Amino acid sequence: MNPLGTPIYLRRNASRTLPLMGVIVLAVLLICAIVSLINSIPLSVKTIYKYTSLMMGVTPRGEADRTPQIKRIIEKECPVPIGRLALCRASSTEVQALVGKWQFVVIAFDRPDLEYVLKRMGTTSLVGRLPEVGRPEAVISEPVSRNLKLKLGDILLGPDRQDAYSPQNVKVVGIARTSNWFMFADREYYTMNHFPPIDFILVTAKNPARQAEMDRWALRRFKGDRTQVISYLEIERQANEMFKTLYKILDVVIGILVVVITLMMGMLINIYLGQRTHEFALLQALGYSTKTLVTRVIKETALVVIGGWLLGVICSIAMLNVVDHWLMYPNAYALDITDRTALAYTIPVPIAIFSAALLTLWTRFRRFDPVGVVERRLV
Amino acid sequence: MIRATGASLVYRDHEREVFACRSVDIEVVPGEFLGILGPSGSGKSSLLYLLSGLKMPTSGSITFEGQDLHKLNDAQRAETRLTSFGFVFQYPYLLGYLNALENVMVARPEPGFREQAKALLFSLGLESKQGRLPHELSGGERQRVCVARALLGEPKVIFADEPTANLDHANGLQVVQLLNQHRGDGSLVMVTHDPSMLAEADRIVRLEDGHLAP
Repeated sequence: MNPLGTPIYLRRNASRTLPLMGVIVLAVLLICAIVSLINSIPLSVKTIYKYTSLMMGVTPRGEADRTPQIKRIIEKECPVPIGRLALCRASSTEVQALVGKWQFVVIAFDRPDLEYVLKRMGTTSLVGRLPEVGRPEAVISEPVSRNLKLKLGDILLGPDRQDAYSPQNVKVVGIARTSNWFMFADREYYTMNHFPPIDFILVTAKNPARQAEMDRWALRRFKGDRTQVISYLEIERQANEMFKTLYKILDVVIGILVVVITLMMGMLINIYLGQRTHEFALLQALGYSTKTLVTRVIKETALVVIGGWLLGVICSIAMLNVVDHWLMYPNAYALDITDRTALAYTIPVPIAIFSAALLTLWTRFRRFDPVGVVERRLV
Repeated sequence: MIRATGASLVYRDHEREVFACRSVDIEVVPGEFLGILGPSGSGKSSLLYLLSGLKMPTSGSITFEGQDLHKLNDAQRAETRLTSFGFVFQYPYLLGYLNALENVMVARPEPGFREQAKALLFSLGLESKQGRLPHELSGGERQRVCVARALLGEPKVIFADEPTANLDHANGLQVVQLLNQHRGDGSLVMVTHDPSMLAEADRIVRLEDGHLAP
């Protein structure tokens, strides 16, 4: 094995290379964790309301008798073939998100529509049963049951609940196995017990892939009208808008972090290169050109930096996996443990550190005099 | 083989010019043991570094096998040093993270030189120390490892800059003898201020204030 090969140097100088790698690992871990956890907030919004990407809600603003008119407009003008158009009632409740409680809607369907929508939501199986007609009963999805810690027979809505009101106790009678969040009840019970007496419309595109196209049409068609369109597109836009400032702050924080880590690493690398002056002088005197030596150090640095980054990414995924397992999943909080944005945020770390190393190297070798060192005139 | 023609080396010390070598004319003949003798500060080491291409003359020229070293680029000069020259310095510089055998192989890291490196350590009495790190070797042993490194690849010229300066007399003499015995057909150019170290030299030149003494 070449005694001047990169693996030998790195292995035999572990006391120098491991701390350098360690700093990179910690930096990547820190950035990845911060960004992934911050990203989990908008991701939660999108996950919780993802069911709206499978259907669109259209509701009149305060005028109960406008619903048939809206229904006619959709049936007549919508350019996207309609899968189902269902009349519903709704009441509000809350779910527990990472940053507090968020509004959620219990939607009440007629039985045939309920069966259709459950299928549309990707339900693979149902534990329990569907709500009986006219009864204060609800079916919820598995993530909702985890989030609100609800089991079969528990109360979802009730007369003494400010945030989840219903004149009677509405019990959970079914839990649907699917990744979508929803709470569905019986429309007849709502018609008899809930106020205001306004029906709204849920429309699905025949082809789920064209749901966004239908949403866009509805947003355009009912713009300025006394009608509200509830679509995933709009929720996504609002979520992105809401977190714009947060991401600007995040960019500044990560930027500062990268600069601080790079300066720290630059200083460390400079110290380590300084400790190798005799080695470089000896090798240059023996007949290794500056280019050969610089290439050798660049290889070593690249291996440390890339190795540190890769190890950092692996550690981040492992750590986020633990966080997901112990904290996020039991509460149904959304967390992407292989968040590409978070990984992208860590890329400036190796690049900046490698650039700092190159600058240090260039400064050292610019006027390097091996004779001065081997003669011990310069140390 | 190596010829210096009117070679001068001038250092700038603030506003003052310091002549390390003044118009030196000298030739290193193939196979000879050339001793360069002189007191401290006479320019011996500077002349050695000029002859080996580690320093470029301020004026004059240094040629190796007819090729002007000054006209070669950094990589070509380095290649010449690596393949044709061997070096032993005053201080036994070894790489601390490599063992004795690996330190010898630094001079020629190609796998084909491994057996020769082992044989050199054997002939220099370091067979049992080849796996030791530099800090596990004595000063004399370290310098012998440096000798083995200089001899590896059978270089055409071995340059030794006061290789005995940090050793006691007996160890110093042993190092010179080893260099002389194992250099094969190569030339040996050795700088020293101690005439007793040049007892085996074929030719001795004296340097005084950067001039070759008559």
